[in-house]
Amino acid sequence: MSTVTLESITKRYGSETAVDGLDLTIRDGEILGIVGPSGCGKTTTLRTIAGFETPTKGDVRFDDQVVTHVPPEQRNVGLVFQSYALFDTMSVRENVAFGLKMRDVPVDQRRARADELLEMLDIADLADRLPATLSGGQQQRVGLARALAIEPHVLLLDEPMTGLDATLKARLRIEIADLLADLGVTALYVTHDQTEAMAMCDRIAVLNDGRLEQVGTPSAVYERPENAFVADFIGTSNVLEGTVRDGRLDLGVVELSGSFDASGPVQVVVRPESLDLGGPLEATVEQATYLGDRTELIVALPDERTVTLRADGNVEYSRGDSVSISIDPASVCVLP
Amino acid sequence: MSVRLSIGDSIRQALSSVHTVVFPTTERERERRRIAIMTIPFFVLAIFAGFVPLATMLRMSLSEEQLFNEGWSVDAWETLATDRTYWWIGFNTLWFAAAATLVSVAIGVVVAHALEKYSLPFERVIVAAVSFPIALPGIVVAFMIVVLLGRQGLLTQTVAFFSGRSAIDLATATTIGGLFLGYVYSLIPRATMILRGTYAEVNTDAEEAARSLGASPFETFRHVTFPEIRPGIVAGAILVFRSALAIFGTVLILQGGFVVVTLRIDRELAVGFNSQIAAAIGVVYVAFLIAFTFIGLRFVRAEQVAI
Repeated sequence: MSTVTLESITKRYGSETAVDGLDLTIRDGEILGIVGPSGCGKTTTLRTIAGFETPTKGDVRFDDQVVTHVPPEQRNVGLVFQSYALFDTMSVRENVAFGLKMRDVPVDQRRARADELLEMLDIADLADRLPATLSGGQQQRVGLARALAIEPHVLLLDEPMTGLDATLKARLRIEIADLLADLGVTALYVTHDQTEAMAMCDRIAVLNDGRLEQVGTPSAVYERPENAFVADFIGTSNVLEGTVRDGRLDLGVVELSGSFDASGPVQVVVRPESLDLGGPLEATVEQATYLGDRTELIVALPDERTVTLRADGNVEYSRGDSVSISIDPASVCVLP
Repeated sequence: MSVRLSIGDSIRQALSSVHTVVFPTTERERERRRIAIMTIPFFVLAIFAGFVPLATMLRMSLSEEQLFNEGWSVDAWETLATDRTYWWIGFNTLWFAAAATLVSVAIGVVVAHALEKYSLPFERVIVAAVSFPIALPGIVVAFMIVVLLGRQGLLTQTVAFFSGRSAIDLATATTIGGLFLGYVYSLIPRATMILRGTYAEVNTDAEEAARSLGASPFETFRHVTFPEIRPGIVAGAILVFRSALAIFGTVLILQGGFVVVTLRIDRELAVGFNSQIAAAIGVVYVAFLIAFTFIGLRFVRAEQVAI
């Protein structure tokens, strides 16, 4: 396994800039998630590491070695695709052993290694089947086994669970995260699903429009977003304007005491879980969405700004209901 | 207990099926009616342009009289079976068509690969140029070969000019090489068009997966792309081979002493008025085509199942 470093990577297609001066390090043995909306440059970044795209500017390093111009087949990277991309004409075992075959590993050795990986991924009984006869989840396990068989410098996963149903996704998420942690694999996990990234990754890089907005642990990115985009993209958030004076935050409709560092006009992020029902602030329910264990409420404050908060699922709310809310000052995050 | 329908029951059942097709009540039955209506033109054509002429041709091959279907005789079939000339013509037709098919499909794979895998400059112009020979009559293809490689041909004259050799010795249009070129020129577009469709279905992600696992571009083609396009190659080869068997105009002009089935039918009719032998050759030709197509299609299906 290796440390993968992207140094000022820029990729342009004609006048279109897909990635714009990206500096990013995937540390040895960590799972780094890349999240962002469609077209933010996630997949281009992954393909640049794999060698399918050559950056317009910048370098890719595996440890100390610059691999910017090394063709994909000489990079030793494992790729896992959303579409599984299995070889339809080969059995599951042949799929897993393919990379070793390309490295001229003798038949019995590559067979043994393939069987070992299939065992590890709990699909040993499927070894002789053709991919087309497998379910989506099983195919993705084969894809993962195939990528791991070559002991890659880095494992690149491109939206590997997008096609799977929610239950399977939740189960596979835990299994894959455990497996990668056990093997100490350096991995890049590209997804548009921030929950998936939070659950699986050691650190998360948020990309927007080809630029890196923030990189950090899931809790750092969630609790201390560096800008409104990150706050909005990672989890649900209420971004409000306010003014800080003498350590107190004035939101117009309510003043919060606390030790707020900044001074003057600021933007703050208030997560729904920082808002509680019952308190000094009057609000009107605009929309109530019943979600089983909870009800998500969008309420209008007296100055007509709206905020989202969560209420008990047992209580029924309807549009126009009056509620009173309070804000926990300790969990309000002031954007830099 | 065996359930056997009496003739009366079978007729009643058949009439009831016809009745539901004509007067459907469920959506399933309406669908069957739509299918019946859509296939009527095909069956009418198959009967009047296919089966009826074929039966007439068979009758002609067994006729005692030339040009009229009168009396019965198996002389034509006997000649066909015993005269070695016809065996040679059959052999020539098959190997020449097979060789032209092999070369055309191989070139078709390369052209389709380039067209589908890479974004080429002037792609539309290239596609138009590649598909253009499909629209040309064989006789025009032959003429183009003559213009290029005949005694007064462009290439012949150029080589003659620079080498100082006689253009008559250098001309290759009416040799077997010139004929082969004519065949391949008209067959490549057919192979390419079918293979382009096949290439469009190739899983690009699987090819990239192979590259990332250490396969060079050639190894990727060999292990991943080729198995995927194999059904297309088989289907293309069947179509191209049948087209090669049917070539007439090109061979009429460029033959150079090489006789194939189509040319022989023409000669039997035009020179010898041997309508019985011409008809017998025709019947063998059609029977071979039908058998070949069925066997070929089974092969395609088996390939697809294997995949």
